[in-house]
Amino acid sequence: MATEPQIYPSKRFRFEIRDNLWKWIFLVPAVAIILILLAVPVLWTLYAAFTDLHLYRIGDFDTKFVGLANFEKLLNNRSFWRTARNTVVFMLGVVPTQLIIGLTVALALNNITRGQKLFRTWFLMPLMVSPVVVSFIVGRMLFQEDIGPINDILRSFGFEGVPWLTSPTWAMVALMAIDVWQWSSFMILMLLAALQGVPPDLHEAARVDGANQLQAFWRITVPLIMPITMTALLIRIIDAFKVVEIIMVLTGGGPGQATESVTLAIYRTGVKGGDLAFGSSQAYFLLIVLMIFGGAYLVLTRRAMGKD
Amino acid sequence: MGLAAQKRVRTIISYCILGFWSFILLFPMYWVVITSFKNAIDMSIKATYMPFIDFQPGLHAWRYLFVDRLTWFLDPFMNSVLVAFISSTVALVIGSSAGYALARFDYGGRNNSIVLGFMSQRMFPGALFILAFLVMFRELGLLDTRLALIIVYSSGAIPFIVWVMRDFFEGLPVEIEESAMIDGANRLGVLFRIAMPLAAPGLVAVFVLSLIGAWNEYLVALTLTFREAITIPLFMTMQVSQTGYTEWWNMSAISLVSVIPVVAAGMALEKYITGGLTFGALKG
Repeated sequence: MATEPQIYPSKRFRFEIRDNLWKWIFLVPAVAIILILLAVPVLWTLYAAFTDLHLYRIGDFDTKFVGLANFEKLLNNRSFWRTARNTVVFMLGVVPTQLIIGLTVALALNNITRGQKLFRTWFLMPLMVSPVVVSFIVGRMLFQEDIGPINDILRSFGFEGVPWLTSPTWAMVALMAIDVWQWSSFMILMLLAALQGVPPDLHEAARVDGANQLQAFWRITVPLIMPITMTALLIRIIDAFKVVEIIMVLTGGGPGQATESVTLAIYRTGVKGGDLAFGSSQAYFLLIVLMIFGGAYLVLTRRAMGKD
Repeated sequence: MGLAAQKRVRTIISYCILGFWSFILLFPMYWVVITSFKNAIDMSIKATYMPFIDFQPGLHAWRYLFVDRLTWFLDPFMNSVLVAFISSTVALVIGSSAGYALARFDYGGRNNSIVLGFMSQRMFPGALFILAFLVMFRELGLLDTRLALIIVYSSGAIPFIVWVMRDFFEGLPVEIEESAMIDGANRLGVLFRIAMPLAAPGLVAVFVLSLIGAWNEYLVALTLTFREAITIPLFMTMQVSQTGYTEWWNMSAISLVSVIPVVAAGMALEKYITGGLTFGALKG
């Protein structure tokens, strides 16, 4: 850990000097790259958010500071609030679903021995597939309204075909389905790892003491898998807030603005529209929300689990 | 009901759940595969499900991709291969050296803070970077180059590699390294000849994960490249927006070519990949 002493014996002092050199040669490139490619964009974007910087006017040297004007514009921008709402709705739709599927499948997986490795390997598959392929090929083909298989199957059971991509509500549902398809596996694998960390004799002991299956699950298993579950949820929540690729490909944010996420709005304003200043203020808004949310989440879950 | 019977019921239910979810995951993939063997007619009237039963499969999409339009597809494919391999290799060398350094040296007691600093990158939304990257690489004259993507992807992979590999190296016994150094090896030799081979499983996991990340990335590629340096995901979406209508069979063949290598690699290395993926939360 951090306080670990230097590992070489002091009689090798001669090497210590050269070792001191390696100590920096190994670390500095990584730090330098991250500083340049993380800190510079973060600071530049902060700067841009307070100016009237525009992509097509970069080099004109007449960039003005506009104070909080971009943020003011942002707060009064109904279209932006629409995208914020969409993003929250998306997150609230996918994360609990993934948790439920993840827990169900992980419990089933933990319950079997034969074929467990096979299923685990198969469940890894969606995580390897590019979101573009998932959304574009899978999503657009399966949700195709006239002859896509999902509507076809629905019709064969006597239902109406669903206007997946032309109705605002259903387009959101289709996007959620795609995200659930792809990312439930993450929950499954995380929760399986958590479940495998629960000592089986603890569960047995509770059963012997007269607890029923459900009680043993709630009292023994749930508290023990809680830390990993909370971390997995936080990772998924943050990722869901950043959703963009599947939307770009499946609906392009439409119909209208019904499925446009914050990140897609930033891309459209800043990259497509060239309004770097306004795009940057939106990006910072997203970052601030994520940081407040992530911080609050960590504090609250730690407190709830009695870690602090 | 006896305990044994109860257990049997539970096992059966478990297999049903697993079978159901496996089917949900399988169906879209099955659909892509059969679509790549379909003709236009098989997709114009009604949905068709079974090759040879409700449609006659043909190889024309594959012929189109690998014979007629091979050169047209080869450029983005090679871009993806080069960008993914070079960026992952660079990230692996730089990131694992730093991970090793943070495991073995003391940086004034701040090692954990340094690692956390690296990881803070995960919190930042990609949207925050694309605007700055667009301007940065435009000023550098690197728009639409593979170099731009390589730079961004390596820097994106480094924090994760540092984090995982630091932990991995910490788990290795220092005695072997010590005795090698007493025998006159220097740190560089120790890192490359002793520590890295011992850490091979971890290195493989983080390498493949960064490879997959770079291979599948879309938002940055969309922002920074538009013609010469486009990667496969971008190429696929451009095909549609250019023609306005979709040749599903061709697109299916293209997506299979892009998906199969990474899925095969990921599944072959399942143990390491799952370890790498779940690493973060298990530590938390």
